Amino acid sequence: MRPEVCALKILVTVKLVPDTNADKRIDPVTKRLVRTGVETVLNPFDEYAIEAALQLKEKLNDGSTVTVLSMTPATGKEIVRKALAMGADDAVMVSDDAVAGSDLWGTSVVLAAAIKAQNADLVLTGTQSTDAISGDLPGMLAEKLGIPGLTYARKIEIADGRVRVQRETDNGYMTVSAALPALVSVTKSANEPRYANLKGIMGAKKKEIKALALGDLGLTAAVGTDGAKAKLTNVATPPVRGKGQVVQAADGAEGAKIIVQFLKERKFL
Amino acid sequence: MIQNVIAFVEHKHGTVRRVSFEAATQARALADKLGGKVHAVVVGDGAQTAAEALKKYPVDQIHVSDDTRFLENAVDALETVAKAAGNGLVLVGNTMLGRDVGSRFAARVDCGMNADVVDFTTDGGIAAVMPKLGGLVITTCALDGDFGVAAIRPNVFSAKETSGAGEIVQIPSSGKASAITVEDEVEEAAAELGVEEASVVVSGGRGMGGPEPFTTILKDLADAFGGAVGASRAAVDAGWVSHGHQVGQTGKTVSPPLYIAVGISGAIQHKVGMRTSETIVAINKDANAPIAEFADLLVVGDAFAIVPELANAVRDAKAAHA
Ligand SMILES: Cc1cc2nc3c(=O)[nH]c(=O)nc-3n(C[C@H](O)[C@H](O)[C@H](O)COP(=O)(O)OP(=O)(O)OC[C@H]3O[C@@H](n4cnc5c(N)ncnc54)[C@H](O)[C@@H]3O)c2cc1C
Repeated sequence: MRPEVCALKILVTVKLVPDTNADKRIDPVTKRLVRTGVETVLNPFDEYAIEAALQLKEKLNDGSTVTVLSMTPATGKEIVRKALAMGADDAVMVSDDAVAGSDLWGTSVVLAAAIKAQNADLVLTGTQSTDAISGDLPGMLAEKLGIPGLTYARKIEIADGRVRVQRETDNGYMTVSAALPALVSVTKSANEPRYANLKGIMGAKKKEIKALALGDLGLTAAVGTDGAKAKLTNVATPPVRGKGQVVQAADGAEGAKIIVQFLKERKFL
Repeated sequence: MIQNVIAFVEHKHGTVRRVSFEAATQARALADKLGGKVHAVVVGDGAQTAAEALKKYPVDQIHVSDDTRFLENAVDALETVAKAAGNGLVLVGNTMLGRDVGSRFAARVDCGMNADVVDFTTDGGIAAVMPKLGGLVITTCALDGDFGVAAIRPNVFSAKETSGAGEIVQIPSSGKASAITVEDEVEEAAAELGVEEASVVVSGGRGMGGPEPFTTILKDLADAFGGAVGASRAAVDAGWVSHGHQVGQTGKTVSPPLYIAVGISGAIQHKVGMRTSETIVAINKDANAPIAEFADLLVVGDAFAIVPELANAVRDAKAAHA
């Protein structure tokens, strides 16, 4: 562990995702997501992690730094810039054709190697991404890094070389803590992410974005499509749900009657 | 090649979560097809009690560990059992704890993991079936190698008790110190049935106008069904109900047999969290609300008039059956 009174290197993982407001469509032939015309954005969940990192840095006020890390094609630069405009100090991008098609495991291997190379004291992640929605990466990363993983944090404090978080549970929360270095996934209840102001946006242009390829990380494991441990074997489109009935109810009693009748037909009652 | 199936059992002081019974039941079906054995892994405070409950399910061996370390105990126990079995598919619930435990195990043994699994195929090895992109596509992923993890969506697989009495086996204590300290645990709400587990979800949206309906009329309707209360993000953001109830892209994905959306317009981000529900009923003032496009039944009217009447009618119908 690093000495107690010492600036921290905080690292935030960020991901590029298709715009969440766009209605997603599937190409009927290729069964793939239609990406043309759909903008890509910074994964909304990651903004909570960035905000949490910036707040910690401001609170510590001891020269601690915030670095964003993204495994993304070169087009992801815009998204990384957004994090820099919010106030992150610098960025690292792992852009390599060889990572395309990585499954969860492959992604965790690459990101863990990149995080190790950065020597971070605290790693913050979103709880999930809006495109994959698995929520499994934080746990995998913590395990791969061999550091404590504190997931679903809605409150994060650093003191005496330890991180303490309020971790959301199904019906409340628990307080858990661990020595640094550690990984924390941040929920949307943690904060309200700031907007980048003009100064931030201008300043971001001067900040360093370091580009790394797999070779720079000294990775030996095969990642990408070939290395996937969970291999996509089929993509099908489900039967479309037809438009149902729309019935006007004169009053509450009639509305209830219509629903009960429907539920009886469907054997719910 | 995976042949054995290992169900990770989630419980609270010995009370087992329904999704874990579903995992145990599904584990048997898979192991029979793959020609392997079924193991269950139960750890922590109350593990012995939970293991007894598991005896009613078709499990060959129930591995019990009293290790109370947070998360690490589960991953260590799964590793021990999986490695002793030589191969195995670990089934966890697609829940906060299940995902944490499953993902750490997957990284520990370097295996694939599939989240939000709703079905399996077993021809030529095990593969998991998952809706992606909010149900727009159904993908199938083969789990290569000796180990794999599948997080199963609650309420999709059935839980069936059998006479099968699993043998209880003790996992020796690892004696390891915990890296994570649990300082306290606070329950803010009474332990309610979560939206992910309920077979009927009654969700309220902005149309509810305030917090009260969530604890009165919506709760009452959900109770009449033995179900749970859900919510749209608009209702959660307004502070009317806690985030744990939120259904949708940034909330929970649910697929109950019956979903009732009350005063919810059916925005795309809400839709992706519930569109795979078997039957969708909506109550909305507006006949042209987007939810009309995917609800099986939209009753146009005032929720405040309809919902209390409906709760009574449901109770009457259920009483008539009893
Ligand atoms: C990145 C992102 C993520 C999001 N994630 C989610 C998510 O996870 N879940 C989610 O739900 N939303 C999510 N949203 C928000 C989503 O876009 C909608 O804003 C939200 O779902 C709207 O909630 P609502 O349907 O309750 O409210 P509204 O759209 O305001 O609809 C209220 C409905 O109530 C009806 N109504 C009003 N009064 C009555 C009455 N007395 N009786 C009957 N009907 C009445 C109205 O006709 C209307 O249709 C997300 C948005 C973004 C940008």
